[in-house]
Amino acid sequence: MQPILTIDNLRAGIEGREILKGVSLTVRPGEVHAIMGPNGSGKSTLASVLAGREDYEVLGGSVTFMQKDLLEMAPEERAGEGLFLAFQYPVEIPGVSTANFLKTSVNAVRKYRGQEPLEAAAFLALMREKMKLVEMDQSFLSRSLNEGFSGGEKKRNEVFQMAMLEPTLSVLDETDSGLDIDALRIVASGVNALRSPSNATVVITHYQRLLDYIVPDVVHVLVNGRIAMSGGKELALELEAKGYDWVKNTVPVEA
Amino acid sequence: MSIERFNDNIRNAFGSLEQRINGAAGGALHALRRSALEAFTTQGVPTIRHEEWKYTNVLPLLASDLQQSPDSDLAAHDLAALGHMPDVDAWRLVVVNGMVRTDVSTLPEGDAAVTVQMITDDLLASHPRVAAAFGHITPASAHPFVAVNAALTQQGILVHVHGRLARPLHILCVGDARASDILHTPRVLILADTHAEATIIESHHTVGTFQALDVTVVEVLAEAGSHVRYFKLLHDANNASHIGSTAAVVARDARAVCATVVTGGRFVRNDLHVRLVEPGASGYLYGVSVLDGTSFADNHTVVDHVAPHCHSEELYKGVYDDKSVGVFNGKIFVREDAQKTTAYQSNHALLLSESAQINAKPQLEIWADDVKCSHGATTGQLNEDALFYLRARGLPEGDARKLLTHAFAAEVMDHLDDDAIRTHMVALIDEALA
Repeated sequence: MQPILTIDNLRAGIEGREILKGVSLTVRPGEVHAIMGPNGSGKSTLASVLAGREDYEVLGGSVTFMQKDLLEMAPEERAGEGLFLAFQYPVEIPGVSTANFLKTSVNAVRKYRGQEPLEAAAFLALMREKMKLVEMDQSFLSRSLNEGFSGGEKKRNEVFQMAMLEPTLSVLDETDSGLDIDALRIVASGVNALRSPSNATVVITHYQRLLDYIVPDVVHVLVNGRIAMSGGKELALELEAKGYDWVKNTVPVEA
Repeated sequence: MSIERFNDNIRNAFGSLEQRINGAAGGALHALRRSALEAFTTQGVPTIRHEEWKYTNVLPLLASDLQQSPDSDLAAHDLAALGHMPDVDAWRLVVVNGMVRTDVSTLPEGDAAVTVQMITDDLLASHPRVAAAFGHITPASAHPFVAVNAALTQQGILVHVHGRLARPLHILCVGDARASDILHTPRVLILADTHAEATIIESHHTVGTFQALDVTVVEVLAEAGSHVRYFKLLHDANNASHIGSTAAVVARDARAVCATVVTGGRFVRNDLHVRLVEPGASGYLYGVSVLDGTSFADNHTVVDHVAPHCHSEELYKGVYDDKSVGVFNGKIFVREDAQKTTAYQSNHALLLSESAQINAKPQLEIWADDVKCSHGATTGQLNEDALFYLRARGLPEGDARKLLTHAFAAEVMDHLDDDAIRTHMVALIDEALA
């Protein structure tokens, strides 16, 4: 089976500072990968580069997504091709209702894929169905996007959008940060419900806690812009027990 | 010089008006006009050396030979096409070159809640509240163009609301500039009785391609417990200039909600004064300007907290493209007696081009010590994080920019409780952004 995502020796940075110093990673259909690492290791940079944030500069390497060169694509093309980034800090957009935003988003992606826009009734039915996944209340739909949402509500809204867009690859950037255990459980069960043999998930997190609920097939530890260690789900537990210093000390760090 | 010619034109127009009204030149109304002409002569045309006109240069407007032209023969069907509001079922009061056109106005008949009539010497004599309000809520000393209006208005209009107005009243101020450059001076007094409720819409339209300057004065007296919604729509042609002054005096527990939408015209200057004169009064001021080309819009607002326990909220936003220029000047006065005041003001500008400009000046003067006041002002471009967020959700960059710009401007209208008028105003904003 062809991989969904192949990252090969990716180097990237911001404002002349190199943050990713050669990351390689292959994600196949049906897999869940966790990327763990201490603060400043490059986790969020990796998420931003994958989604196409323009302030990051790619310095070398390649990223292949569904046999296409991901780095050549604009952010909206990446979304159209089936890549989804759940933001660490979802943006508040006053004046745009959540429902209106979702409709615009879903139909933009459908247009990219050469599909007809969804009719109002079909769209409404789809929203109702997907909201249940993250136990979101109907009242969210008429509120301005993320405005005044609590931390947990924002993250649930991200997973709700993910459910609406049915991506091939979801990248969850610190989706667990700032969540209490109940919100974490809701978010995780939403993500799990969306797993299928044909899609894949990359979970970026600082803490092992989330991985109790979203169980990864592979765990990578990112240190100083490189994947220092990869292993099964038990690696996350070992990291939790021994701390990131254990990895830093195990792996030789370039001067 | 253009100022001298303008001054001459004003004096000549006053002379012609005096001849037209003939026998009534000795009455109280004409005495008001005469003192207004003096007030204009004393003040003179403002230049950018005047603090209140620092960014607002009227001299280019006076380059045209602006003349009053009260005898317009604009056809009824041309007038019927103006200011159409598909979502709003309103009565229409049509004023062409300052004169009421009853033939094309659709005024409430037999509705006890409102009377619309001309302000005459008899009315001033028999109606002390009208006499106390007309020319006193906004005196000719307020600024030179208010004086021009007061000196040259032949027909002042009284809108007297006694009860709850069933439909909005739409006042269309039309300039007929088909034959020459024109000056016209619509004038309205809105009197809302105790517990009355009214929605008034004011819009401005220019027909023809000569230059048109309308100098409009609207005075509002909102008596105790009344609720006045006042919407001003300026989406006029490129040969149209507008200098408007609206002042509302708001009594005990009364509420004035004012919203101004500017989406076109060559030059716009709006003065909006809200005076909260008795406890429990509240004022809400909303404004949206969407400008492009070389359009200019200046919103000068004053919220005057005279009495204690009053509340005001003000939100103005502007979207400026091309070489358009905006001005926002927002004063809040909290007088010594106005304890327990709550007054909030914010204004935000979005500059879509490098040559667009906004000059914003919030000004709070607070003499009372137990008050809550705040103001905030921002100027900038679209939020890059929001733009990326939308693109990451599949929206092409152009669509994402449009959505954010729309949201920025239209959000102001979320504060209005009238669905039909909000829909209409958002449609105007969208049309201007398209």
